[in-house]
Amino acid sequence: MGIGLKVRRLALLAGMAVCAFGMSAAEAAEKHKIFLSMSFIGNDWQAEAANMVKAMASHKSMADKVDLQVQVAGPNAQRQIQQINAMVQAGAEAIVIFPISPTALNQVVKNACDKGVKVFAYDAEITEPCAYNVHIDQEEAGRVTAEWLVKKLNGKGNIIAVTGVPGTSVDDLRTKAAKEVFAKYPDIKIVGEAVGMWSQAVARTELSKILATRNWNDINGLWMQVGCFTANSMQLEAGKKASELLPCAGEGSNGGRIQMLPEGTEVEGAASPYAPLGAPRISYASPPYSGALALKLAVEAIEGKDVPKTTILPLPVVTNETIKLCNEGSWAEMKAGCNAFKPSLVSNPGWFASIFSDQTPEIGLNAALVGQPEN
Amino acid sequence: MSSVSSPVSTMSGLRRALTRNRGALIAAAVLAVLLFIVDAISAGPLTYFDVSFLSSGGATSALAAIGQTIVILSGGFDLSAGAVISLVNVVLASGMDPMAPGASVLLWTGVGIGVGMAVGAFNGFFIAVLRMQPIVVTLSTMFILQGVTLLVMDKPGGFVSPDLGTFYLGDAITGWLPMPLVVIGVVLLAWFWLKGTRFGTALYAVGSDTDSAAAVGINVVLVRFAVYVIAGGCYGLAGVFISAQTGSGDPLVGNPLLLSMFAAVVVGGTRLGGGQGGPVGTVFGAYILMMVVNILLVLNVSAYYSTIAEGTILVLAALAGSISHASVFAVQLRAARARFAAWRAGILPSQLERVDRRLKANGPAHGNRNSASPRPALHLRNAEALRYALPAYVCLLVIVIVTQIWLGRAILNPGYWNSLLVLSSFLAVLALGQGTVILTGGLDLSVPWTIGISGIILAGMVNGSDAALLYALPVVLVMACAIGFANGFGIVYLGISPIVMTLATNGILQGFALLYSQGTPAGFSSPMLRWFMTAKLGFVTPVVLLLIVFVIIAVLLLGRTPFGRRVYGIGNGLRAARLSGIGVERTLILVYMLSAVCAAVVGIMLTGFSGQASLGMGDDYLLPSIAVVVVGGALITGGRGHYLGMLGGVLLLTALQMLLAGTTLPYATRAILYGLVVLGAVMALRERQPQ
Repeated sequence: MGIGLKVRRLALLAGMAVCAFGMSAAEAAEKHKIFLSMSFIGNDWQAEAANMVKAMASHKSMADKVDLQVQVAGPNAQRQIQQINAMVQAGAEAIVIFPISPTALNQVVKNACDKGVKVFAYDAEITEPCAYNVHIDQEEAGRVTAEWLVKKLNGKGNIIAVTGVPGTSVDDLRTKAAKEVFAKYPDIKIVGEAVGMWSQAVARTELSKILATRNWNDINGLWMQVGCFTANSMQLEAGKKASELLPCAGEGSNGGRIQMLPEGTEVEGAASPYAPLGAPRISYASPPYSGALALKLAVEAIEGKDVPKTTILPLPVVTNETIKLCNEGSWAEMKAGCNAFKPSLVSNPGWFASIFSDQTPEIGLNAALVGQPEN
Repeated sequence: MSSVSSPVSTMSGLRRALTRNRGALIAAAVLAVLLFIVDAISAGPLTYFDVSFLSSGGATSALAAIGQTIVILSGGFDLSAGAVISLVNVVLASGMDPMAPGASVLLWTGVGIGVGMAVGAFNGFFIAVLRMQPIVVTLSTMFILQGVTLLVMDKPGGFVSPDLGTFYLGDAITGWLPMPLVVIGVVLLAWFWLKGTRFGTALYAVGSDTDSAAAVGINVVLVRFAVYVIAGGCYGLAGVFISAQTGSGDPLVGNPLLLSMFAAVVVGGTRLGGGQGGPVGTVFGAYILMMVVNILLVLNVSAYYSTIAEGTILVLAALAGSISHASVFAVQLRAARARFAAWRAGILPSQLERVDRRLKANGPAHGNRNSASPRPALHLRNAEALRYALPAYVCLLVIVIVTQIWLGRAILNPGYWNSLLVLSSFLAVLALGQGTVILTGGLDLSVPWTIGISGIILAGMVNGSDAALLYALPVVLVMACAIGFANGFGIVYLGISPIVMTLATNGILQGFALLYSQGTPAGFSSPMLRWFMTAKLGFVTPVVLLLIVFVIIAVLLLGRTPFGRRVYGIGNGLRAARLSGIGVERTLILVYMLSAVCAAVVGIMLTGFSGQASLGMGDDYLLPSIAVVVVGGALITGGRGHYLGMLGGVLLLTALQMLLAGTTLPYATRAILYGLVVLGAVMALRERQPQ
């Protein structure tokens, strides 16, 4: 495709965007003007969260109340600062933020609060006291998973730890909490530690590097922020049987959840390694619905309801005892306790499956997949 | 510079000034137009507050980009800029006492600039005194600094006194002049003073032609060293500014500023490679890139389209900067017209009668050349290639031995060698594409999302079916050819600098990948592809066999084909290559197509390796793909390098990562060690003492 074509197409798009803006500005006179400032959009979690926010905004209970504009700041805190400034200038009533940094935005957020704008941060935290925060307790996540692993290993064994993005608060809190647990058991040894960047692909290369000089038989368990699905696949490739898989404490990817189902379970669309294996697992996640919930809370705050400054989301934990397959993935079905989705519905095993919250009946599986709200 | 040849005396002073500062003037005009657009579309009029916000928003990038511009003017390249900003930020945030009643703005500004200059001196020592390649020295510095930054502060936090914020973000003249503009103005004034001194002249001279500069008695070593120190000071000041702006520390805050800094430099009219342009244009460039945020907001561009819009704005800004009679685009148009006229007159070379017009060589015929002068021995014929390729292999050997001693189970463990080759295969393929681009003096920054979109489209089409590979593979490869063609076309025919063009393409591809996948890449690798990347035939993964074939083909392609000779020809001198009849345009386009196809192959391989495709799967491969090429002995400015050397670089860096991954050292220490080893590995590659 030539540049010329791209340019022309863009000019057209820009033109359409201007028209759309012109129209919606007139229509939106009664609506609450809310902006969403996302971080880097190029990873699975972010995109899924964005879909859920979009679905929330288009739900029938919201659509005539909210005029939502989504903007991307990329990985650059500096740009997010400017973006938030511009949003305040453009007359935002509330700004929902995925904060790139928990501290760097403090001044601009304070400035926004001073102008009466409600600022909501989801998933990660903004430390400025005037901001509303919606996230899980990261320390709890690290501690609960580490305790599960220790119990599984009876307090003895060699483990590999795969962490997240170094230099972020989330990674720091989870890893430190987990290491505190491991430190209490002198027979638990961390024999390998890798930086997993919260990505299945990175987890695979890092584990391959570690295993170049080690053997699966020397390892008794895995503690990973993201990557259990990959670790299980690699053990199968190395010739292990499903019944010999190592206990793995890790992320809430749908692939990992499907692997937790008892071996031999009939699941539509399953193909090894994205198949039931009875893998010993604890699966937790930073749930991608937090942005949608933040939007809902922001509307409530604008409407004068009392919203707490900090909403700690319940940590979604699934173990082999609580794993249950969904048929369609509607909110009602998830409320009844299902927490894994058929590969025929979710073909990407790295997709994050912790999408249920009893506070967001507006959004179900379709919200996370394509941005369609529940009826 | 071309303007030297034009009759200077007939030019009035004003016109000369206009010509000389064309880049900066056009950047200023583009910025003015963007401001006007934002003002016209947004609801309210542009007030002083808007201007104040904008000026502080772009100030960090502008300050850092001024430093980068000075480095680029001297013919260098600095990848450590973002890391310096992070380091200064955490040093300030952890150094200031929250209990103290106030902080001295002067003192802490001095600390920030001092840290930056110290890093600059480190860079300058290796680059100027030891004559090592800037890109690899500053890349190592970047890793080392990232490690040091995490040692100072391992997570966001700390405290920066509000006094700093009040000073740097306040008003110089209330209601009229925001402080950030004054800070930038002061730096620019300092630059104008410097430019007027003998040092300034020497700086441009070194950037234009190092050998000539040395010949007229300029102390090249000193100039280069000073350039990195000054640039470090600029990054330091940028670090102080972002600390003032954020009021706290974050060890990752500066890293994402790096690529946009280069874009700001190029959009501002400075030529990569040195000698032309200046920091004034860069400041406008930085603000143009910052304005994009506001434009996307007022236009309400959907999130998925934002990277596409950014890429397009980047290309348009670069194009606007090159509108003139002498621009590549205009020259190409005139050349096309001339060719058309020649075709009509029937005097194109291809239309002429085919007769052998070569000069008859004197002396004996080709047949007995061997007896007249015996071919020198293999190691003599390839002495240069050996000198530059060998260090990587020597270091690889050392790393493997250290691995054996430290972790055991390496040298005699076939699994170790197999893992090494499998993990190396991705970079080995990328190294051919990126390496060929670098051999021609370019750079391909569109690698990450070419990998990403290829993997995503392949996984989506294949969806677990081996049969689908039959048509999915060709589709992806053809798409890669189109991506490479677009890159090459923009660079060759529109005259856009490779960095800007491929950076823009990268953003546009990211947008397409998001639109195609709707944010959630569907599908997964087929069993055969997964078998190919992860199964074992005995001790060997099938992809290793492919790797061997690939290496042979790559060596032949660059060493034994006319295409390879043209690539080296272009890298050694564009004009000489053109005059000797090389189809420069066609070759360059092919080079970028090759790079895109290599990236697509890596995307396919990664999909097989991980079993699925994910957004951002290529992000970790951009800097390594450049690093391995340079560590393998290639010259970043083009013309020198051997594929086997690059392969050595790939194996070395992969073995090093495997060694570090096997230890339980903290990440910060690993990053520092990685940087030091890379620096040590290229010590042997330093240029010989100039005669």
